[in-house]
Amino acid sequence: MSGTNQISFLQAFTAQLICGLGLAVAFWVARNFYSIDLISDPCPTLRLLSIVETPIVILVYSWFRLNPQECSYLKAVARSILAFPLGALLIALGAIALGAPIHIEYLSKTIFYSLLMSSFTFVPAAAVFGTSWTHWQRIFAHTKPTEAIEYMICIQAYGAVIGAWFGAWPMPLDWERPWQEWPICVSYGAIGGYLVGFVASLGFVIAGHGHHLKKE
Amino acid sequence: MEAIWRSRWCFWLITAIHLVALLIFIRGFLLTRTELPNSSHCSDVSQSPCFFSPTTTTSTSSSSSNSGDGCWTKPAIDRLVIIILDALRFDFVAPSTFFQEKKPWMDRLTVLQNLASTNGSSARIFKAIADPPTTSLQRLKGLTTGGLPTFIDVGNSFGAPAIIEDNFIQQMVLNGKRVVMMGDDTWVQLFPQHFNKSYPYPSFNVKDLHTVDDGCIEHLFPALFQEDWDVLIAHFLGVDHAGHIYGVDSLPMVEKLEQYNLILEKLIKILDGESSSGGLHENTFLLVMGDHGQTLNGDHGGGSAEEVETLMFGMSFKKSSYPLPSDFDTSSCALDLAGKKICISSIQQLDFAATMSVLLGVPFPFGSIGRVNLEMYALATGTWSVEGANMENFDNQAKWENWLHNYADVLCVNSWQVKRYIDAYSASSVIGFSSEDLLHISDLYDKAQDNWLQTAKNLLIHQNKSYDSPIHVLTKQIDTYFNFLTNVSDLARSKWTEFNLRMMGVGLGIMLASLFLMFLASQEVNKAGVTFFSLHGDSRISFESVFAFIIVAIRACSLLSNSYILEEGKVASFLLATTGIIKLRDSIRKKKMIFEAIVLLLLVTILRLTIEIGLIKQAATSLFMKASHSWVLGVVLGDPIWTFVSEIGPILALIFLIFLLCKTIGSIPGEGTLKYTIMGTILSYMLISVHWASESKIPVVAILLRGAGRNFIPRIVYFIGLGQLLLLIFGRYFDLDKAANWKSSLVLRIVAVLSSFSSTIIMLSGKQGSFVMLAFLIGGYCIVRLDSMEENAINPTVGLFTFNPLVVIQWNLLAVCLFFVTGHWCAFDGLRYGAAFIGFDEFILVRQAILLTLDTFGFSLILPVLGLPFLALGQYLWDHAGCKRSFLLTRLSQVIIFSLLIIINFKYKLIYCLLFINKLIVKLLYIYF
Repeated sequence: MSGTNQISFLQAFTAQLICGLGLAVAFWVARNFYSIDLISDPCPTLRLLSIVETPIVILVYSWFRLNPQECSYLKAVARSILAFPLGALLIALGAIALGAPIHIEYLSKTIFYSLLMSSFTFVPAAAVFGTSWTHWQRIFAHTKPTEAIEYMICIQAYGAVIGAWFGAWPMPLDWERPWQEWPICVSYGAIGGYLVGFVASLGFVIAGHGHHLKKE
Repeated sequence: MEAIWRSRWCFWLITAIHLVALLIFIRGFLLTRTELPNSSHCSDVSQSPCFFSPTTTTSTSSSSSNSGDGCWTKPAIDRLVIIILDALRFDFVAPSTFFQEKKPWMDRLTVLQNLASTNGSSARIFKAIADPPTTSLQRLKGLTTGGLPTFIDVGNSFGAPAIIEDNFIQQMVLNGKRVVMMGDDTWVQLFPQHFNKSYPYPSFNVKDLHTVDDGCIEHLFPALFQEDWDVLIAHFLGVDHAGHIYGVDSLPMVEKLEQYNLILEKLIKILDGESSSGGLHENTFLLVMGDHGQTLNGDHGGGSAEEVETLMFGMSFKKSSYPLPSDFDTSSCALDLAGKKICISSIQQLDFAATMSVLLGVPFPFGSIGRVNLEMYALATGTWSVEGANMENFDNQAKWENWLHNYADVLCVNSWQVKRYIDAYSASSVIGFSSEDLLHISDLYDKAQDNWLQTAKNLLIHQNKSYDSPIHVLTKQIDTYFNFLTNVSDLARSKWTEFNLRMMGVGLGIMLASLFLMFLASQEVNKAGVTFFSLHGDSRISFESVFAFIIVAIRACSLLSNSYILEEGKVASFLLATTGIIKLRDSIRKKKMIFEAIVLLLLVTILRLTIEIGLIKQAATSLFMKASHSWVLGVVLGDPIWTFVSEIGPILALIFLIFLLCKTIGSIPGEGTLKYTIMGTILSYMLISVHWASESKIPVVAILLRGAGRNFIPRIVYFIGLGQLLLLIFGRYFDLDKAANWKSSLVLRIVAVLSSFSSTIIMLSGKQGSFVMLAFLIGGYCIVRLDSMEENAINPTVGLFTFNPLVVIQWNLLAVCLFFVTGHWCAFDGLRYGAAFIGFDEFILVRQAILLTLDTFGFSLILPVLGLPFLALGQYLWDHAGCKRSFLLTRLSQVIIFSLLIIINFKYKLIYCLLFINKLIVKLLYIYF
């Protein structure tokens, strides 16, 4: 493992902060400029969130790409842009297997939800790891991240997915609330899980960093 | 070995705890009521505090018991005609103006509407509220005894449903009234000795809409001109059967209703013609009523508004009537289609027995807890008319006062009788009422009776003087009685028709505790495996058992919520997909069996889509489910290609199944009865495909195979299935040539057992059956394969005790999904009655019950449980290295016990089983009778 992509706590914190701010800005814009929110207009809001968040994630995480000497910044950006729709496709398939409605009127909602989820999970991983299958496998299947950046990617992605999974639980209840519709509460769950992932991964980065220093 | 024994002991302990928890839960869930053998007699009334004046007490008790001139109360009517229309929904009769929109089945019984809205006629429509369970038998029982039959009436023997409790019919017989019955033969079973004449018609064939009704018509009209009866009961079944077969919104239903309209018109004309003074029907009362309602798809049994709301239409042919002042009038009025005012009152079916007893002047049934309905009483005793509502008239006022006095007298007897029953019940029943409740009831009763004593004395004293507003005093008195009677019926309802939540909670608590124990035990067993078989510690197994525990906990919790039970199919497929995704993650990590993991996920996706399409159909017919079209993609059913696929597809799937079976036989060496058994299944499959082809809508095929006979093939299939089972049971004694390899013989045996059941279950499930069987096989294969992946990877030779709870849970979730895929759902109307009649036209209880059980639990319980040994075999199916038999058996017992625990854990299974058994016994037994 080359030490070139070893990042400091400050860098990790900055990256998280930028991504988190991106989400906040997206919500702020949605409310103040378009006067929409997730509950009343899920489709445009999810689209806005993706539009704001995805470029930020791509630009930030491409900075931390593996082997920066061999792989240019632009290449990292390009492969993460490619991963954006592909990841969304996988997410959508998974969501449908779990029970997402496939009626035509929900199609656009599913698409935008999957895109947002993709930018939480696949896009940063693609930016950093590219097509390195061993890394993907180690991070997502074994859940054994070692580096700070791997912690960030892994924990946030898992946070988003698990959050979305829990977000689906209120849906069958007969409370007749508008937010019980697909994909509103699932999106809330995903965003919540993602944010929890921020904090948790920062914790791991601090712990991991200390560990790293101790080893040296 | 000690550890193995300890773990086994542990499992038995947990099973025992589970059983205890179950028993406690059932105790709270099952409602019990003890039947009392007592009955009322004319002379009993002397014990009552009513008829306080010394002269009347002696005279009533001595004289009335012999004279036909009433015994507890004075009879108000001489003859009673009861027309029962089975499963009569309230909106069949009430004018459509009472509802939000007019449906095709409304306003068909116009003759009743017209009579009720005509000025001057003493006819009235009542909305009758039935108490669940709303099945014909339970309702007839409730109506005649005036009680609340529960799920299980202690003392009710299974074979003979004859009512042993005191009831209205028995009272009439005891008091010399002659009863004539025609129609539904349930009555004859309930009252085998009571009728002077009876014309019962078999009611068990639901497909037959006309036999019972035609029989009724044949005997009803001649009987109207006869003098040899006092009470006539005619029970029509057409509407019930039309609902069961075609649903409410159907042409046969409308035709039936229109037929009834004509019958009722003719009936009323005849009665009216004879109603002049001195005529046969001078003092006859007509009652047209339903025994219960039905849902839009024709089911009943539960407690939804549609099922409990039925009708009572009362009509007196006496001309004289007095008005009822508005303070007692509880009816709601609206304009009917012709613009006339029509009023509808409300009555409890509970009150039927008491009210009718009063009208005919017979003692109340001993166990009746109903009250005499004021409006019905007024209708029959002639205080009912909209005309001439001038209350200022002194003459009217006096009459009214007199009437109220009579009514209060009646209520006095009524309250006394109810109190007597409650006392007798709590004295004799082990599970009586609580002492606080009894005290409260007694208090109310004493207050009411003291008050009445006072009032009546005052009224007697001031009989000839002008007493300050006696009407006011009487009204207050009547209210006091109402208060008492209402309290009693509420208490009885809560005792006999509501679940004991505390008991259920305790049962559930113990169940959760044992769940935790089970988790610990499974950890223990894993540890035992580690120490005894030197399995290298693997933290992941513990992760998976934690995960399995979480999934079970989620399932258990979700079943506490009504919303999750309604959506259970979706929840189960959601959890199954979750486990599938986790398995996919594992297989990616191991870089093997990715194909199986993906197939499993695809299968789950298909299953969930099928479940949702099923839900749509269900939502269309059942109000129980809210329609949620948005969840599903619309499938164009009218498409010819779709028709073709739906005709050919199942047969292709069957052929594929045959191919699989052939391959299994071929791959395993050895001969013997087991192979012949499997061959029987192949034959059955072929017959089934011929049967489906003969039913197909593609004309050429259908003509070719028409001669095969509709019922012939299913019966052969059932017969073969039965033969296979017998062969399996007895075959092992004759099977001398043991297969060399015990493992392959075990596999063969499992396959034989599964396949012998499968043919019958596929037959019963209809065309979806072969697909579901295929899905079951593919899903089961993937689950077992994915499970075997783990252990192979860890350690190829040992690991016998590391069986994975997750795989059992997956198996169970798959079974639950299949239950919903086959079009069942956990509700009273979720049984597929059609399945009971595949291959048979007539109804025989045991046979049809077996078929229905096989259909309901075939894919969800029978096949998965029988297939459980595959889970135990797990990796050894593919691993050719031998393993010791004893280890395998230990493992098998672990798997089976564990899965039993899980199955038991899913509370709904229990609830559903109970509902199912109850429904099966109650509904299947009696509804068609």
